[in-house]
Amino acid sequence: MSAPAETAAPLLAMEGVVKRFGGVQALRGVDFDLRRGEIHALLGENGAGKSTLMNILSGVIEPDAGEMRIDGAAVRFGDPRAAQAAGVATIFQELDLVPSLDVTANLFLGRELTRAGVLDRAAMRRAARSRLEAVGVEIDVDQPVAELSVGRRQIVAIVKALTYASRILVMDEPTAALTAAEVDRLFAVMRDIAARGVGIVYISHRLEEVPRVADRVTVLRDGQVAGIASARAPQSELVRLLVGRPLNELYPRRSGAFGRRVLHLEGARYRPKRARAGWQAPDGVSLEVRAGEIVGLAGIMGAGRTELLTALYGAAGPGRWSGVVEIDGAPARLASIRNARAEGLGFVTDDRRGGGLMLRDSVRRNLVMSVLRKVSPLFLMSRAREDDLARKAIRSFDVRPALPEIPVGALSGGNQQKVVLGKEVLGGPRLLLLDEPTRGVDVGAKGEIYARIRELAGQGLGVLIASSEMPELLGLCDRVVVLRGGRTVAEFPGGADEHEVLAAAETGPDDDHE
Amino acid sequence: MNDAAPARVSAAPPAAWRRIDLFAIAVRFQSVIGLILVAIGGIIFSPRRHGLILFLAPDNMANIVRAVSETGIIAVGMTFVIITAGIDLSVGALLSLSSVLTATIMTTAGWGLIPTILFVVACGAAFGAVQGLISTRFRLEPFIVTLAGLQVARGLALVISGNQYINISYGEGPGLAPPVFAILGDRLFNNIVPVATLVFVVVAAIATFVLNFTRFGRYVFAVGGNERAARLSGVPVTAVKISVYAITGLVSAIAGIVHAGQFNFGSANDGTGYELTAIAAVVIGGTSLFGGAGSMVGTVAGAVMLGALANVLQLNNINAALQLLATGAIIVLAAVLQSLVRRREGLGR
Repeated sequence: MSAPAETAAPLLAMEGVVKRFGGVQALRGVDFDLRRGEIHALLGENGAGKSTLMNILSGVIEPDAGEMRIDGAAVRFGDPRAAQAAGVATIFQELDLVPSLDVTANLFLGRELTRAGVLDRAAMRRAARSRLEAVGVEIDVDQPVAELSVGRRQIVAIVKALTYASRILVMDEPTAALTAAEVDRLFAVMRDIAARGVGIVYISHRLEEVPRVADRVTVLRDGQVAGIASARAPQSELVRLLVGRPLNELYPRRSGAFGRRVLHLEGARYRPKRARAGWQAPDGVSLEVRAGEIVGLAGIMGAGRTELLTALYGAAGPGRWSGVVEIDGAPARLASIRNARAEGLGFVTDDRRGGGLMLRDSVRRNLVMSVLRKVSPLFLMSRAREDDLARKAIRSFDVRPALPEIPVGALSGGNQQKVVLGKEVLGGPRLLLLDEPTRGVDVGAKGEIYARIRELAGQGLGVLIASSEMPELLGLCDRVVVLRGGRTVAEFPGGADEHEVLAAAETGPDDDHE
Repeated sequence: MNDAAPARVSAAPPAAWRRIDLFAIAVRFQSVIGLILVAIGGIIFSPRRHGLILFLAPDNMANIVRAVSETGIIAVGMTFVIITAGIDLSVGALLSLSSVLTATIMTTAGWGLIPTILFVVACGAAFGAVQGLISTRFRLEPFIVTLAGLQVARGLALVISGNQYINISYGEGPGLAPPVFAILGDRLFNNIVPVATLVFVVVAAIATFVLNFTRFGRYVFAVGGNERAARLSGVPVTAVKISVYAITGLVSAIAGIVHAGQFNFGSANDGTGYELTAIAAVVIGGTSLFGGAGSMVGTVAGAVMLGALANVLQLNNINAALQLLATGAIIVLAAVLQSLVRRREGLGR
């Protein structure tokens, strides 16, 4: 801890920062400091105050009270430009890149080099190339950003940020949409940048990433610092700081009592009418889901997990299934969403905001959306039945606040996810298809969602879950099926060794599936 | 505006929802409040004759509600389209085409009243449905499709009418329209309530009911609120989209029939700019162009408010240019208020 640089002032020191929004105290006197060359993870559940604190640091909002010093000198930012001028760059989740412009144009957006009033393209391309080389990544500077993978866009955004602010870099959940390989590369780039003396604040939901990249961790809870720890502190300790109590049982107990076979696939293939680049069609899937059973779908990015779920749900566009596709023992027609719903399938997308909810509409109206025919058998809406169903779902999923009339967009991510789940469950499905059911959900709410999924299974539903979080799959599911290239390649019992499953997902032999 | 920061900042406080947000409620009924304000202004600034407030004179009131009836009818249909995050630019031209059709059929084909009305309304609905079909089938922006539809409708009207006014004369016999049709230009109940306005009221009442109390109405909100979520929830998204354009087509045809009845002619050059007036009424009424939120009552109040405002300014001999400026300012104000509420709710945009 006693580094030689300790004698000098830290790169950044925030002290006693207070911020109130209306009646809500978002920050109640938060201290935060960042050293030169340090990667400092900032953890906290949704609403803990992470974003507020970082918005203050990057000049988006002003604090009500508190001090902020950079290199020992007091600073106060009225707007993001002032923060940038002081060397603070922020990379939000929605990258501030223009997809249709090429990499060079993006790197110099708003700061174009000119010669006699004319864009100096050659100079910009040279500079862009050397900056990308400096972080050790090969990216074609003439390529439109839209053609880059999310991981590469992330790196372009970092390089761009470093061009105008070079001392403090704030990264908000940079790994949320990256593959494992991309995460590795991103971390390498971050460490490289930190080694040059830049201080990096790294906001993440993924606890397991913290020791891989960060030096220290500050955990926020309810607008206060819950604790500061070394990044090598045990994960259980971090979880305790995050949720304020030891998290003994994140995953509910398995029951082991299964009923009839709800879903049965044997050599199932889905041939889309029009092939799409990057869309891994199910190509030889054999698995079964029994009533009361939770089955996980593991696989690396591009293995076809989401594709399998959407194709089963009839939501993958025109195409045809072949092979054995049976629901409840009878051959199923899954050509359209309407078919799939009639067969008793329910689906929760991984893109909650994009495909799950009408954010501005009320919780009630979102909940009943998939059961409008029940609420309104002829064509008139029955408000009484609607209220009834909505209240039932809110109660059984413990949506908080339990107010059916507030806009669903005002809920936290975890509660939004409960609404999405509740919506599907109201439809009374036999088989639930869940794609990344806890993405962007904080630890506490994750536990509640797991418990509810297990409870639903206990009521006789079959559940098929795709997730990129291996601990989640192995902790929650009764069985885990591994997909690779659209095929099932292996199957493990719940609680199997994570490394074995990973190995099967990445390189396992092709002929070892049961 | 596209500054996403405020949205991420306000992790909306659960406790705050228990309080009633007066500002949000006021904005929700902004066009009703606006209408009341315009009416108060109208009374205060109204010229008087023999102590009588001209603005409140039955004749003047009747004029206001009659003048807004055609664009009002169209705005009611437009509300459906805009809630699905669409737009329909063809309505004014379709009104004109419908007036031409009505006049032509009655005077030259000699059809009766009911068959004529049914036919014209069916044509309007079909025209709208085809636009919806093209837009959904080929994934084209409704802006483009209905812009083309505007040209086509106007062109058809010109061809059918030969760019002449088709005058409607009433009576029995060939070339004459059924006299009862002229009732659209009359006023009922002691010569106070214009029949055109009654049509507007009936259309608005039906639309309010459909939007708020039927499954179809809920589908409309769902499609605009989140099209993908609606599709995944089993909402027949394509059918809903085609239907809302059929609705705007249908109401434009009704407005066209009213137009022909009020003025006793069909013309290929009328209804110009009605689409913009209708969109303005919808926006002032608090319906979001982003889709997913809106109010039929708001639209009706918005339409009447625009008419009342024009009337107040006319009564005070304020010239037409200033009327346009005032309308523009009100549209901006209405949109700004909506945006402020969204920001307070922490929903961005």
